[in-house]
Amino acid sequence: MTFIGALALLTLLAPPALADEAFITSQPAETLSVVDLATRKVVASLAIPGKPAGIAVSPDGARAFVTAPDGKTLTILDAATRSVTHRVELGGGPLGVAVHPSGSPAYVADWYLHRIKAVDAASGTVTGEVAVGQSPSGLAVTPDGALLLSADRDSDAVSLIDTKTLTRLASIPVGARPFGVTIDAAGMRAYTANVASNDVSVIDLKARKVVARVKVGARPYAVALAQGRAFVTDQYDSTVTVFDTDTLKTLATIPVGDYPEGIAASRDGAFVYVACWEANTLEIIDAVTLKVVETIPVADGPRAFGAFIRQSGD
Amino acid sequence: MKLQLFAAALAATSLLATLPPAAAHGPTRQKISEKIEINAPPEKVWAVVSNFQDGGWIPVVAKTEGTGGNAPGAKRTLTLKNGATVEEEVAKFEPEKMTLMYRIDKVDVAVLPVTNYSSWLIVTPADDGKKSEVEWRGAFYRGYPNNDPPPELNDEAAVNAVTGLYKAGLESLKKQIEGGS
Repeated sequence: MTFIGALALLTLLAPPALADEAFITSQPAETLSVVDLATRKVVASLAIPGKPAGIAVSPDGARAFVTAPDGKTLTILDAATRSVTHRVELGGGPLGVAVHPSGSPAYVADWYLHRIKAVDAASGTVTGEVAVGQSPSGLAVTPDGALLLSADRDSDAVSLIDTKTLTRLASIPVGARPFGVTIDAAGMRAYTANVASNDVSVIDLKARKVVARVKVGARPYAVALAQGRAFVTDQYDSTVTVFDTDTLKTLATIPVGDYPEGIAASRDGAFVYVACWEANTLEIIDAVTLKVVETIPVADGPRAFGAFIRQSGD
Repeated sequence: MKLQLFAAALAATSLLATLPPAAAHGPTRQKISEKIEINAPPEKVWAVVSNFQDGGWIPVVAKTEGTGGNAPGAKRTLTLKNGATVEEEVAKFEPEKMTLMYRIDKVDVAVLPVTNYSSWLIVTPADDGKKSEVEWRGAFYRGYPNNDPPPELNDEAAVNAVTGLYKAGLESLKKQIEGGS
């Protein structure tokens, strides 16, 4: 075995990183709260002007990207030092954000101008853009980096975009008003939370079509995946609906704080983290027992719309 | 100016009418909270604020008509003193926490410049249960769903309108209860 091969194997065998962090955007408080997930405490609070909402952290944990729709900016941060490296003026209404698996570019959805901009992570310059459907919201990139998905909320559809050429390959009809979109680890399926039809559309990415629709609670916002289960925040019911991703059967409806919004799973799939906008909490769900195990107070109005878990420390 | 405001409100309303309720908002939800202390035990205060079928303690309300009592899904239509109506619905009723949550199902933005409005009324004991604190919380988007809203339908207008409503409502509630009626 080569030395590099041995190293890779060691990395695979290493226990789950305990030092991961959650980067939580609080919109009215104009704050980014950094929560240490081992100690479950807020370890840093950064001022982000312009009503921050969207968040994406690069897979290597180096950078965080925060959109501010009122400030019309994308803030790029050095995640380890908690310092702002760029504040990119984008105009329009930047909301959803996702980052390419390689760490750059970051993709930003413009809610009002109906397009997605690509922003180079290191320089903060806009390198391209692509027109999509109406009011693009959640964004996600496939694990191989080939495809960008955009939940086009007011078109009731998801755009598939080729990341190399920034061309729109397809628009897939889903439920009414899709907001968050999440892709599974294998890059096979995507899940949209449909705010107005109170369900989740399951998309087969190869076939480019919806293969199932699963009923959830009222005004679903976003989806997280762990333990072969989908966890969906139901804003108006103050619950997280859990369903099995194979059988599509509902397994639980977990009460959480009012207006649950951003949701993400830990890298090892043991926990799911939920930002509750009205309750001002980050709530931790055990992904196996499906119980809330901890409630952490964060700054006023947490949204954390995007992939907000930061890998740090392995 | 008055005419302009009315026209802008109308324009916004007709735009809203073409979309289902879940569609009509920008990306930033607003949040406010107002509190008041009332010199009466929490049970007495809760009895008034939890009665969803009587919004009479809110000064602008002339008449309350509804169905379903206080249970989740219960409805009411408030007719205001100026003749406008507001349709509302109970979202959560938690007597053990003395918390009532309800939503506006339908209101003209010319009446209240908000969309997707939810509200909480929470009573907590103060001074060892001899007094009460009432908190009125609100969550809503501004009246204008697109970018660069006109001033009468922007975030500030929405926050000011709801803040004014809450302050006046809580003052009136305090007067009504402390006055012994």
